[in-house]
Amino acid sequence: MSCLHTINKSPENNLLKSCLNVVCSGDAILFIEDGVYHCASLVELQAIQDTVKVYGLREDMLARATLVRTMDSVEIVDTARFIELCCEHDKVVSWF
Amino acid sequence: MKFSLVIYAAPYSSESAATALRFARSLIAQGHELYRLFFFGDGVHNVSKLTVVAQDEINLQQQWNALINEYKIDSVVCVSSALRRGILDQTEANRHDLGVASAYESSEVAGLGQLIDATLNSDRVVNFG
Amino acid sequence: MTNNAKKPIKSIITFISRSAPYGHNKANLCLEMALASAVFEQDVNYVFLDDGVFQLLKGQDGSSVQSKTLGNALEALALYGIENIYADQHSLEKRGIVSADLLPGMQLVSGDEVSKLIENSDTVFNL
Repeated sequence: MSCLHTINKSPENNLLKSCLNVVCSGDAILFIEDGVYHCASLVELQAIQDTVKVYGLREDMLARATLVRTMDSVEIVDTARFIELCCEHDKVVSWF
Repeated sequence: MKFSLVIYAAPYSSESAATALRFARSLIAQGHELYRLFFFGDGVHNVSKLTVVAQDEINLQQQWNALINEYKIDSVVCVSSALRRGILDQTEANRHDLGVASAYESSEVAGLGQLIDATLNSDRVVNFG
Repeated sequence: MTNNAKKPIKSIITFISRSAPYGHNKANLCLEMALASAVFEQDVNYVFLDDGVFQLLKGQDGSSVQSKTLGNALEALALYGIENIYADQHSLEKRGIVSADLLPGMQLVSGDEVSKLIENSDTVFNL
């Protein structure tokens, strides 16, 4: 059983911290909307366990000019892949 | 897979309603089934037909309506959220003597039972707020 | 009320209520969904996390801001047969809230216990 967590607010809102308190190994986190600013912050990303895969939504990065600032540990995905990720995990928990 | 989407966000105030619309289009394009759209809280504004936007802007409500009609999607707007925000179909408008309906006919004004039904009958429920 | 479920089954739905009361309606929306789930006889877990634990303070009076008192509404959870009501201990501690401040009937849980609830659920609503 694994879970895809989506986070749509910037690091200032502490959603990642809340999410990390309940995340399980094998879960994945997908940053969307203002959440993609996490993907440009090494400090934020370092808080995430190695057993949790990290994704960022490409469309939101393009809009915000953060694609080039995105760290290597983040896998960049489009909306079509977002949907595949929903299918690959047993459920989706949205943090907003 | 069968998906249901729950939309809590009003259009324009945040990006979430637009994200949900892109998600809905993409999952249909991939051949998945969209079992139900459920508009809740401020999300009910997405089914308002009494909206006008600038010519160079996207009318999200119109786009939801077009998508719902094109693919005959089961779309529900939560009655308790909708009425207090001025989102009424003709039946509710008549019942409350308000004359004009503000909701697109493509969405049904109904109760939270439809959300529970969606959780029971979908493989994935995805929330946008 | 109508129930069009084609395969009328029971599922486990976990609600994570993370918002403080009155300032935003997320707390009310979460409660509305949980009560509806109970009416349709689903297995409901209700978890108060982060600012959501502010909903549990005793002595609320919403009438001073022309609002229904959410604390009273929470007592409705039990009336609707929702017995699995949890408050995240870490969230309480962080906000200086002790058990004596709380409405009755809450089970205090750790983050690990919340993640187990999520893991064992069919659907999670988190708002």
